Amino acid sequence: MLFKDIRDYQILYLSLFLLLGISTRDWTLRPSMILVAIATSLITQSLLTLIVNRWSFTTNKKENKQHKQYKTNIRSPLITSLGISLLLRADYPTTMFFAAASAITSKFIFKLEDKHFFNPANFGIISALVITPDAWVSPGQWGEDWWYGLLFIGAGGMILHRIGRWDTTAAFLGFYALLEAIRNFWLDWTWDVYLHRLMSGSLLLFALFMVTDPRSIPNSRTGRLTWAACIALLTFILRNNFYLSTAVFWALFALAPFTVLLDQLWKASRFSWTVNSVSASVSRRDIQ
Amino acid sequence: MNSYHHQRTNLMKLFRLLISILLTFVILIGFTPSALAFCGFYVAKADSKLYNKASQIVIARKDNRTLLTMANDYQGNVKDFAMVVPVPTVLEEEQVQVGKPKIIERLDAFSAPRLVEYFDEDPCAPVMYDRALESAAPPPAPAPQARKRSNRDLGVTVEAQFNVGEYDIVILSAKESRGLERWLRGNGYKIPRGAKRLLNPYIRQKMKFFVAKVNLEKFDENGYQKLRPLQISYESNKFMLPIRLGMVNSTSEQDLIAYILSPKGQAELINYRTAKIPSNMNIPVYVKQEFGDFYKSMFQTSYTKEDKKVAFLEYAWDMSNCDPCSADPLSREELKDAGVFWLDNNPNEIAPPGFPSRRPPSSNVFITRLHVRYTRDKFPEDLMFQETSNRKNFQGRYVLQHPYTGKTNCKAGRQYKKSLRKRFEKEAQTLARLTNWNIQDIRQKMKLEEQASGSFWQGILSWFGM
Repeated sequence: MLFKDIRDYQILYLSLFLLLGISTRDWTLRPSMILVAIATSLITQSLLTLIVNRWSFTTNKKENKQHKQYKTNIRSPLITSLGISLLLRADYPTTMFFAAASAITSKFIFKLEDKHFFNPANFGIISALVITPDAWVSPGQWGEDWWYGLLFIGAGGMILHRIGRWDTTAAFLGFYALLEAIRNFWLDWTWDVYLHRLMSGSLLLFALFMVTDPRSIPNSRTGRLTWAACIALLTFILRNNFYLSTAVFWALFALAPFTVLLDQLWKASRFSWTVNSVSASVSRRDIQ
Repeated sequence: MNSYHHQRTNLMKLFRLLISILLTFVILIGFTPSALAFCGFYVAKADSKLYNKASQIVIARKDNRTLLTMANDYQGNVKDFAMVVPVPTVLEEEQVQVGKPKIIERLDAFSAPRLVEYFDEDPCAPVMYDRALESAAPPPAPAPQARKRSNRDLGVTVEAQFNVGEYDIVILSAKESRGLERWLRGNGYKIPRGAKRLLNPYIRQKMKFFVAKVNLEKFDENGYQKLRPLQISYESNKFMLPIRLGMVNSTSEQDLIAYILSPKGQAELINYRTAKIPSNMNIPVYVKQEFGDFYKSMFQTSYTKEDKKVAFLEYAWDMSNCDPCSADPLSREELKDAGVFWLDNNPNEIAPPGFPSRRPPSSNVFITRLHVRYTRDKFPEDLMFQETSNRKNFQGRYVLQHPYTGKTNCKAGRQYKKSLRKRFEKEAQTLARLTNWNIQDIRQKMKLEEQASGSFWQGILSWFGM
């Protein structure tokens, strides 16, 4: 059963990073906060699933379908909460609670057909940054160790290879690297400055785990490439002209709704989590 | 009988713990009025005087307003002094001031890593006493240079030119680095080779250049012994510190100590990792005599361990209190001198001196002391900061636990003596690990061999129930 779903790998890797972080990077990572995030996500997910099912049960009365939906999805909220734990910092558990709860809720509110157009973790992070006074993101805390970079790429690559969305990562990173290279050349900085700017662990983490979530990115390849390039451009502008340390998250947040538009422009078949395409219809339903 | 003994020692331990807690409480609460003269158990500090080439800056920042104070520890002939700092905006006369030299010393002393000491009580008769001792830390250091002549148009615009205290200030904007370099040379500034290329990125980012040199007449007139710090204020989203210019021809390590004052919380770097300096370690008591050396070695060891590419957090604290204090908290006036410009609205935010309140009062000044040792190869990019809402206190704190030296004629006493051996060995190992010093030397300095054999015999005696 385990590792049949690609998301199990994601959960494994994200947990591994968290453990590595706690043990080696002396961040402001606190296990209690991680627990709050995970618990909140799971509870919110099950509560909302319950509510949505009850509600649609009474309105639609399509019994067969609804029974399947009762099976609460654990993987998705787990991934979301691990992502939030990795990237978001807060002084109080209430903030973590708020971030996780709004992340999961966003999946139920901002959705079209069975696709949610905000990445839940990203939504949670942005809402915590905007609404609560004590949330922050530490983009420098990953450092720039090659070792970490390789670990990220290796791990992420494996996951991406299996879910077939590596193109978004490549488009995002490639275009971003190109923009930074042009800027570096124009500013006449030495090239180690350029490398240093790119060797940011949090940038890689974002590119590998957040901008690739098939549930919230365009379906067609052309759509995805365009979209990823736009995020790269916006990130670049926000980082270099507005000095926003949270530039990537804002860029994704601002451009997320455009996935709907891009899906209209370039129609393509919907993605399913399971490797086995026969079970696709099942996974479609319990994805929320 | 054995279990009775065991129980008794356990009770003893509990009792000791309770007494310690109680006493700490008493000292914090009961003695607070004299806290200014006697603040906790602080014994020594490792302040910035330890480092040879340490530049110190204070950044007070709220929203997008920044007040930057640059310490001037220039040791050479003042007529040779000059500095060129890229700044985000044109600075007018009222945006530049001369700060009080004392203020950086105060911030340094307040936030320096500290040594504290505790004394074991008599294990036979648990009467406890604590005391604090004071000792000082080591000597000072030098900085950059340049000179003077006339003006020409080289794509360089003099945006402002004025005089502040003993300094002549010019604010320049430039179109290209060659012109700027020529202008600076033409005006008598010694620009190091290779600086030209480094000026380019700043020019292209439309940054201005703050150029200061000493007005000798004013300097003599005022009779200052040393150059005072320069204070500049500006509004910009850029929260950064240019370090590249200072590394033009230097491959050596440079120390920067940045005191960042913010109403929000702890500041950190966003383009380098910020790591905490090892803290709250028990180390051998003899280190009291060489705390400066200890801290220097420990910093160097941590710095090497982190591959020389992280910034170290040495202190992060709400400025209304400290525990233990290595110096008195800064008064309202001093905070203003340090550049804190957001105090006016809240007259009661800072606890009045000599009257620290019981629960940590929350002032709206949070200090972060970052110690960055940088080199050209590991720190290619200028430092970029951000303030976070993190209000967790942190301090570099090292503990000396003095053993009880009187006679111990009870079982608990013998147990205690026995436990000391383990404790000393652990302290020695901690010290060796932190500083990379030779463990044998440490043991020798601690006279561990004697101690060890002493407790060995005592161990045998206690084995026979004596």
